[in-house]
Amino acid sequence: MSPHKPHRRSHRVWAATAACLALGVLAACSAPGDTGGGASDTGPIKIANVNAQSGQLSSLGQWETKGVKLAIEEVNKAGGINGRTIQLDVLDDQGDPTVGTNLARKIASEGYVAMLGTAESAVTLAMAPILKDAKIPNITSGQSPKLAALKSPFLFLNAPTSVTYDETLAKYLVDTKGYKKIAMISNNGTYGTGEHDAFKASLQTRNVTPLADEVVTPDQKDFSANLTAIRQQDPEVLFIGAEEVESGLIVKQARELGVKAVIAGGAPLGTPVYVTTAGADNAEGSVVSSPYLGNDVNDATKAFAAAYKAAYNEEAELHGAKAYDGAKILLEALKKTGGAGGQALADAIRGVGRNGLLGQFAYDDSGVGVHATQIGLIKAGGLVAEPTS
Amino acid sequence: MQVFLQTLVGGIGFGAVYALVAMGFSIVYRTMGLVNFAHGSVVMIGAYTASTFSMAGRLPFPLAIAVAIVVTGLVGLIIERVLRPLEGRDFDLMLIGTIGFGTVLEALAILIWGATGHAVPSPVAAAPVDILGIRIRTYSLVVIVVAAAATVLLALFLQRTKRGVAMQAAAMDPQAATAVGIHVGRSNAIAFAIGAGLAALAGGLIGPMLYVSPTMGGSLGIKGFAAAIIGGFGNIPGAILGGLAFGILDSFAAGTFQGYSELVVFVVFAVAIMIRPTGIFGERTVNRA
Repeated sequence: MSPHKPHRRSHRVWAATAACLALGVLAACSAPGDTGGGASDTGPIKIANVNAQSGQLSSLGQWETKGVKLAIEEVNKAGGINGRTIQLDVLDDQGDPTVGTNLARKIASEGYVAMLGTAESAVTLAMAPILKDAKIPNITSGQSPKLAALKSPFLFLNAPTSVTYDETLAKYLVDTKGYKKIAMISNNGTYGTGEHDAFKASLQTRNVTPLADEVVTPDQKDFSANLTAIRQQDPEVLFIGAEEVESGLIVKQARELGVKAVIAGGAPLGTPVYVTTAGADNAEGSVVSSPYLGNDVNDATKAFAAAYKAAYNEEAELHGAKAYDGAKILLEALKKTGGAGGQALADAIRGVGRNGLLGQFAYDDSGVGVHATQIGLIKAGGLVAEPTS
Repeated sequence: MQVFLQTLVGGIGFGAVYALVAMGFSIVYRTMGLVNFAHGSVVMIGAYTASTFSMAGRLPFPLAIAVAIVVTGLVGLIIERVLRPLEGRDFDLMLIGTIGFGTVLEALAILIWGATGHAVPSPVAAAPVDILGIRIRTYSLVVIVVAAAATVLLALFLQRTKRGVAMQAAAMDPQAATAVGIHVGRSNAIAFAIGAGLAALAGGLIGPMLYVSPTMGGSLGIKGFAAAIIGGFGNIPGAILGGLAFGILDSFAAGTFQGYSELVVFVVFAVAIMIRPTGIFGERTVNRA
């Protein structure tokens, strides 16, 4: 063993690091892809889809990814964009913001023109600054008002924010139905906090103070204490701000404890995961605020649902639909820029006025495209539209 | 008062499951001096096996749990057999080995059942029992009875059977036990199998209370482990008490401290083991390196 050996090895490491850095810089330079960067003008157009493929949030992530894939495959079958195929790489963030930031750096350094996802607001929030610096447009499925508050010119939402969901919900519950005794339970994760703040604000503008305002953790399993406190107030409505599985557990335990209130909440309550976790009997009659009330709303949703069923042999739902909308908007924008990314692509996305599955998209400068939701009810285990009176 | 009692009831329902998980940790620890970090993942495999056999296989629920106990018992035997060459040689590698097995089991579950998980309908259809406004889930009663029965059976096995006493002997002094003709490897294998069986029982029982997914073992494992520590690691009655204490603490913290409950629970846990490092029934008899 010569004493020089470790020295030489460290030289090699330095050389390798330097090479990597150089490559990274090159890739970062060519990513905006205005004119020069040879690699980005030929060959496939690289789009990253970041979603949880494992972990507790993976059901969400997989629905989203299915919607994205469907849209990309349609375009590839029709010949791609300017003769270039779209290469879709699915990256697993495990629903974890730390994994997300690592993926954001990977996306920035490996020549992706755009990113679709994630379904988790917390992950998108963590990734947004890196993607903004790298000028990579991101169409997210998150709906936290914090996303819109960033006002990043490279961040777009494929659905309304919690503010819209909850304003529509409060309007229905208080103005239309005349409920005044409303209790709230929400988790302190990014989604739950957004729902909590938005719904409470909507109640306050109607001069309604919630009877109870219980906050739980996203990982909580036993809600006896919170739900008993709520039961003592005997509310007419129980608002839930939590993801699918936790919402289901809360409702199951609420009914076991004898809480009879009408259950109300955002998009998670419209999913089969919520209904099976809560039990169909317990979920019956839940009021759901959602921009996508089912597959039979119009011809576009029917066509989407049929294509989805053919591709995956399961029923389409909201998350697949909004991810599909987001991917379609990106593809339309890419067509306009001829496959180029960067600022040009971000501007093109802002200009897309898609009449989508979720409604009419018109992006404002906070990156929100859809500005309305509808009210649906869980009936016999499925989501049906509440007939507008 | 009503909130207090209802919270207590809810805490005991989940505490019984934590107790079962803690018992699985303890039986392996008292026999081998080893913390089986794969235990949470074995709970998850047990939950999946039981729920799959009862939902897709249409087996009656108790039978499905029995199948799950056999399946995870085998998993326990495999883990022990793979780690056996390290026994008495490299303890740290054994620990890391169990962590590795945990990851492998999680990946296997994703391969077999997919990453999304499924909800399990309650096998007991009866409405909750209502005593003076306190509602007790009938299913929680079942869980508590089963957990109590498992504890009694385990205690009888360890104290009244020759095999059980031999296991205790092997735990206290493996060399002396070998000298009098006790097969230490077999004793360890039985401990692992029993631990895994308890995990399946816990997982099978908690399936209908929660949502079965590949990552469900994570928090159950940590809470079960903490419960075992609080009770006095390696002590079976301690595991029961620790499990119930942890469930109740968890439940009350949720009501009082709302979003900070998890933080408060583990701060209380940390303070408790600082004051009494050996737990409630503290006798850390086993210390093998």
